[in-house]
Amino acid sequence: MNMFLHELRAYRKSTIIWTCSLTTLVILFLSMYPAIAKDAADFKKILDNYPAAVIKALGFSLDSFFSLLGFYSATLTYVLLCGSIQAMNLGTSIISKEARDKTADFLLTKPVSRSQIMTAKLFAVLTSLVMTNVIYIIAASLMASAVQAEPINYKLFFMLSITVFFVQLMFMSLGIIVSVIVPKIKSVLPISMGTVFSFFIVSMLSSSIGDTTSRFITPFKYYDLMYIIKNSAYETPYIMIELLFIVTTITLSYIIYSKKDIHAV
Amino acid sequence: MNSIEIKNLTKTYGTARGITDVSFNVEDGEIFGFIGPNGAGKSTTIRTLLALIYPTSGGAKIFGKDCIKFAPEIAKEIGYLPSEVFYYDNMRVIDLLKYSASFYRKDCSKRINELSEIMELDLKKKIDDLSFGNKKKVGIVQGLLHEPKLIILDEPTSGLDPLMQQKFFDLLKDENKKGAAILFSSHILSEVQKMCNRVAIIKEGKIITVEKISTLEENNYKKIKVEMKSTVDKDYFNISGVSNLEAKDNIISFLFKGNLNLIMKKISDMEISNVWIEEPDLEEIFIHYYAKEG
Repeated sequence: MNMFLHELRAYRKSTIIWTCSLTTLVILFLSMYPAIAKDAADFKKILDNYPAAVIKALGFSLDSFFSLLGFYSATLTYVLLCGSIQAMNLGTSIISKEARDKTADFLLTKPVSRSQIMTAKLFAVLTSLVMTNVIYIIAASLMASAVQAEPINYKLFFMLSITVFFVQLMFMSLGIIVSVIVPKIKSVLPISMGTVFSFFIVSMLSSSIGDTTSRFITPFKYYDLMYIIKNSAYETPYIMIELLFIVTTITLSYIIYSKKDIHAV
Repeated sequence: MNSIEIKNLTKTYGTARGITDVSFNVEDGEIFGFIGPNGAGKSTTIRTLLALIYPTSGGAKIFGKDCIKFAPEIAKEIGYLPSEVFYYDNMRVIDLLKYSASFYRKDCSKRINELSEIMELDLKKKIDDLSFGNKKKVGIVQGLLHEPKLIILDEPTSGLDPLMQQKFFDLLKDENKKGAAILFSSHILSEVQKMCNRVAIIKEGKIITVEKISTLEENNYKKIKVEMKSTVDKDYFNISGVSNLEAKDNIISFLFKGNLNLIMKKISDMEISNVWIEEPDLEEIFIHYYAKEG
């Protein structure tokens, strides 16, 4: 518990900053909705002139773009991007920061096993992510109810919003395994930004060319928001793969970290 | 009983560095010196004992338990002070110490105050703002606050001024009197000589010898310096038992181990103007050891 609280405190500042950014982002986007909905016809005309590939890459779907949920889905693409960077940052930091700040000797000579350390850190990150998402979803829902033209389906709204958390989990796991495999990480941000943006670009490209196989590769494509809106459900295969991916990477991270030599600074 | 039993401990890193077949015991309640130049393998041995790195072969027992398998349990009774201390920079000293104490499931606040008073440590300062020496003090308090049964020190005195070193040594002696065993790694012989009962000498990853400090000191080594009336070939003294033979102007100096009568006769046969016969300090024996083995 002491480690968990210590870790949580260590991420407090970054969690607050990220939460504020995500919240600001959604408030900003949704506040534009009334204006866009009002001039829907004109907007549609403009967007019609865009190449179809660009529209898809931006995450818009013309049929639904002018409904609140459709508009929100487009917004989510960018919330997802930011949230993923946050998650990957946290994941990559938890183990590597002990080596970077040279505090590994302190922590690892305490009467705790490495698994206990990993667990405490993992839960601290999960807690930070959950808190971010809770605040984000509350803010987004409030904003949505403020700008809605017609009553919105809150269950669907929640189902869409929570995909941010699901995608974050994948990037967090990826970050953790990177941080136990790479011997010395000098700076976290280039790694997390690089990885997240690579996946984001892959997902944009695959959207615009309509490729489906790449859906398995990039976490951004695991949750097809249009599918969720249409069916009020997630696509089971992708959930299974995500679960498998998370369980495997986290288990491997535990094993690698427990067997790793911690070298002197 | 032994606090530490190291048996054929080997750790290889890829090719060169590491330790080979290190074996020695640290008995309960003793202060054991661990001596060798930088890079000889002192830290590698210690880090294996602490389960920070894993042995390639062989192993060690602490309190009779395997140091890797039972690492978390053993760690309850170990206090460790590394040569360079690093802590979470944005914490205050007291918060760091409390965090450290929180791992041991006992109330350490009294001990924290005692220790930091002895070491003149300002508890309210941020770790970030501390000098190297003051960080070291945090390390000392942090390593001793849970009253460990085994204290492992890896070149602990760097950064401490002589006054603080003395206080620190006194502190260690007190802990030792209360029953703690101490493994004291250092490349500074005088401090080991001052503190320890026994010593292991390590060179290039191998233990050269494990001896009582007193044996090392006695060992019948004499440091002899003779000033001649006239220049003499230094090889005149090159008989068995003589080492580190050196000549400068009319002064010849060497270490001698063996029958003193022999060397006295040699000296008395010469016209000398002065003679010094001294106990060598550990440093000289040590260099002698290294020269011989090397």
